[in-house]
Amino acid sequence: MSVGRDARRAARLAEATALRGARAHAAIALLAALLAALLAAGCAVTPAVSPAPALRIRDVAGQGDEARRASLRLVLDGLRADSAHDTERARGLYQRALQVDSGNPYAYLALARQSVESEEPDLALEYVDRAEDLFDAEGARTPGVDADLDGLRGAALVLTGDADRGAALLDLAALHAPEVWSDRRLDADELR
Amino acid sequence: MPRWVRTLAGVVAVAAFACGFAAAGLVVDLDRTVRARFEGVRFRVPSRVYGAPTILYPGLDWRRIDLRGALARLGYREATSSEALPPGQYLWGAQRVRLHLRAFNHPSRPEPDRDVVLRLSGSTISEIRAVGSGDEVGAVMLEPEPLGAYYGPSREQRELVPLSEVPPHLVDAVLAVEDQRFETHRGIDLRRIAGALLANLRAGAIRQGGSTLTQQLVKNFFLTPERTLQRKIQEAMMALIVEARYDKDEILESYLNEIYLGQRGATAVHGVGEGAHLYFGKPARELGVAESALLAAIIQSPNGISPYRDPQRATQRRNLVLDLMLEQGRIDAKTHDAARDEPLRLAAVTPDPSDARYFLDLLRRQLSLVYPAEVLTQEGLRIYSTLDPRLQRIAAEALRNGLEAIEKRVPALARAKSPDTLQGCLVAIRPQTGELLALVGGRDYRLSQFDRCTQARRQVGSVFKPFVYVAALEPRQGPPTITLASRLDDTPLEVATPSGPWRPANFDDAFHGDVGVRDAIEQSLNVATARLAQRVGIPRVIDVARRLGIESPLPPVPSLALGSAEIAPLELARAYATLASGGVRPATQTVEDVVDDAGHVVEKRRLRFERVLDAGTAFLATSLLEGVAERGTARGLRAGGIRGPIAAKTGTTDEERDLWFAGFTPDLVAVVWVGFDTPRGLGIPAAVGALPIWRSFIEGATGGVVRGSFPRPPDVEEAAIDPMTGALAMSGCPERRQEFFLAGTLPRQVCPSDATREGLLDWLRQRL
Repeated sequence: MSVGRDARRAARLAEATALRGARAHAAIALLAALLAALLAAGCAVTPAVSPAPALRIRDVAGQGDEARRASLRLVLDGLRADSAHDTERARGLYQRALQVDSGNPYAYLALARQSVESEEPDLALEYVDRAEDLFDAEGARTPGVDADLDGLRGAALVLTGDADRGAALLDLAALHAPEVWSDRRLDADELR
Repeated sequence: MPRWVRTLAGVVAVAAFACGFAAAGLVVDLDRTVRARFEGVRFRVPSRVYGAPTILYPGLDWRRIDLRGALARLGYREATSSEALPPGQYLWGAQRVRLHLRAFNHPSRPEPDRDVVLRLSGSTISEIRAVGSGDEVGAVMLEPEPLGAYYGPSREQRELVPLSEVPPHLVDAVLAVEDQRFETHRGIDLRRIAGALLANLRAGAIRQGGSTLTQQLVKNFFLTPERTLQRKIQEAMMALIVEARYDKDEILESYLNEIYLGQRGATAVHGVGEGAHLYFGKPARELGVAESALLAAIIQSPNGISPYRDPQRATQRRNLVLDLMLEQGRIDAKTHDAARDEPLRLAAVTPDPSDARYFLDLLRRQLSLVYPAEVLTQEGLRIYSTLDPRLQRIAAEALRNGLEAIEKRVPALARAKSPDTLQGCLVAIRPQTGELLALVGGRDYRLSQFDRCTQARRQVGSVFKPFVYVAALEPRQGPPTITLASRLDDTPLEVATPSGPWRPANFDDAFHGDVGVRDAIEQSLNVATARLAQRVGIPRVIDVARRLGIESPLPPVPSLALGSAEIAPLELARAYATLASGGVRPATQTVEDVVDDAGHVVEKRRLRFERVLDAGTAFLATSLLEGVAERGTARGLRAGGIRGPIAAKTGTTDEERDLWFAGFTPDLVAVVWVGFDTPRGLGIPAAVGALPIWRSFIEGATGGVVRGSFPRPPDVEEAAIDPMTGALAMSGCPERRQEFFLAGTLPRQVCPSDATREGLLDWLRQRL
């Protein structure tokens, strides 16, 4: 429905797919070329990506108005509960966070993460979309946010059985935020 | 031995055997009855519905949320000393409140009790810190307020309390006055019976009962209240059986949860848990010695000794209980004296102004799809709803005052207490999540339980028009039909229909010629809108309305564009919520989760969303409706000084039969309808009848300052245009106004219309 958003999403998916293709080519080059040529080939075929600072909600907890800050504190409490495997309490805290600030994209991101963990991919995709809309609306997208959106969407797609697209997005997330997504999952502590 | 003696002995033996056999049969039968009750469903507990909890955080306006009122409704007591402030009490000092929050007992998302200090700066909570550690706290939660319960035919209300949660002094108080030898007797207390007999003989009438607590329990559980010898024997036998089968703690716990303790309106209050709420507004575990003694004192005659009806008599009887406790060594003299000196401090009895009963009915209809009626009325479910009790109260008050104001303005409409009285409804939802926050389905639930927000469908008039504009602004397989800079034709229109030509007219019976899109919706011009709908196509308008959340039948006729369809206010609120949340339609939520009497979460409902409209088009529609609130038919909104982003639309149907006001802020959508159940003209437009109700609600909800903004999506551009022509305004254009456009839909014409400028613009377009 959203032309701009879908176009951006398609572009990211294209980037993810290209990345997978480029890696395959790089592997062939590895076998065929000498070390020096390999170095050059690797530089040529691998997209130049510098890792983005990972999104940590505690880093943004002081931003926004009073309601946003209170809402973010509740999200952080929820992530702590999630880390302690108290998922229902965490869910309650995310819901409270939305009660205080219903447009808080970080709360939807946390809900999406929880839904991926509980293997509810349809729900996770709805929350990722919602978070993305709100990040867009606030102009708050950062490379770290994009990596988490890609990674969570990828993980959810893998759960729905769309392994190719899911894996491509997970690769992209790992490329942009390797310290978080190299294991292809987002822990509550990593988001906190 | 003579033969007759042997015969007699035989007859006696047979008779004794028969009697023994019959007695044994009776005992077995009574035993079966006792076991069936004790080992089956011992109590029928109605399900209870709770509102959303109040969350306190730094920056919150404590006056706006009526913190004192919320604490009072939850039974928090104002303490006089801050030393060892127990849960459920607070101390309101100069610019600070110490508040010991109660624990929230939820199986999967419990909250511990917390002792905190709220620092106040004017009407704002400036800081929250934990007492003891001094740590700053981001947010704390007040436990959810009970909204009501679903009763069975007996209308018994009780809150089950395990014996472990009953304070020992409450048990002592009950035993002292009702059965002081409970710990030692076997179900019947012969000394007590003898004492009661003597007392009654002296009085010449039955003044005193000899029943033990076990007998009272048996009587309440199994028998009728009649005073016959047969029933007394049965009661005694059953008491002996109960004592033989069950331990004292189990009997005591059953008794404390069964005893009748008075009335709350038509509802009978049973058990000390519910009794504590009725008389003291707090849970039983928080009762002090004096309060416990009062509750025990009431047992003998709950309505006769009611502290509300006769405080003096209740105090005397309470003091008698305290004296008995002292005599029996259950309390020491110091405790006794302190408790006797305590004045009666009862929960305030105020009629609940929130009238959440329409909401409770809606919830019952929804829950009955999942739970049979017996489960809802007997199995003690705890239903945690989304309703915000504060907003509900504000909504109820806004509607009540608004309808009264209309009747004052148009006295011919006033028909107090008549079934055909002027009616109205107000529904509010949180657009981003779809949570239902307030629902007032009518003027007075006692007079009419018909919920006009969810059960009535009324002609919507101009509040439907935004769907026409959304259909025209939305790009689908090509450019949109219009942009916000387009010009519309407001000249006479005739559309052929099977029932003859249809000729729409404007509210002022005039035609306005060439008008801008904003003018057309801000002034709610019918003809321009009807012509636009013809250009877009009625099927496409219907498609948009469906996607936004309208489920009522939408006849595919030209007049649909002007709101000839009949729609329920809740549907309209959902559709406007979709616009408010940037084109994402949230599923309407009324319940967060449901917990059974064993403390298991039996149902949890998740927030669900579906994108049904692109964010850019939703933003443009919102911007149009902001114009309506600023300059158009809803400009009266600002009369009270309310500030911040508001998007809204008025709707008045033919002969002013239905007055509508639908609008939203970034955090709140509300729809108001005013009219008669049997439609007839009101003589005033929506801006006079429905708008003030909506304004009053939003002012109360937001404190007059609406937070947030409607964010502009990245694919919406802003450019200066010439308002007269809709052309892009370049330097030299005599008039200009900023306008929003979806990317790629900027006007091609420029002002002034100069071929050179056009060429330059094309050159720029190509390069950009």
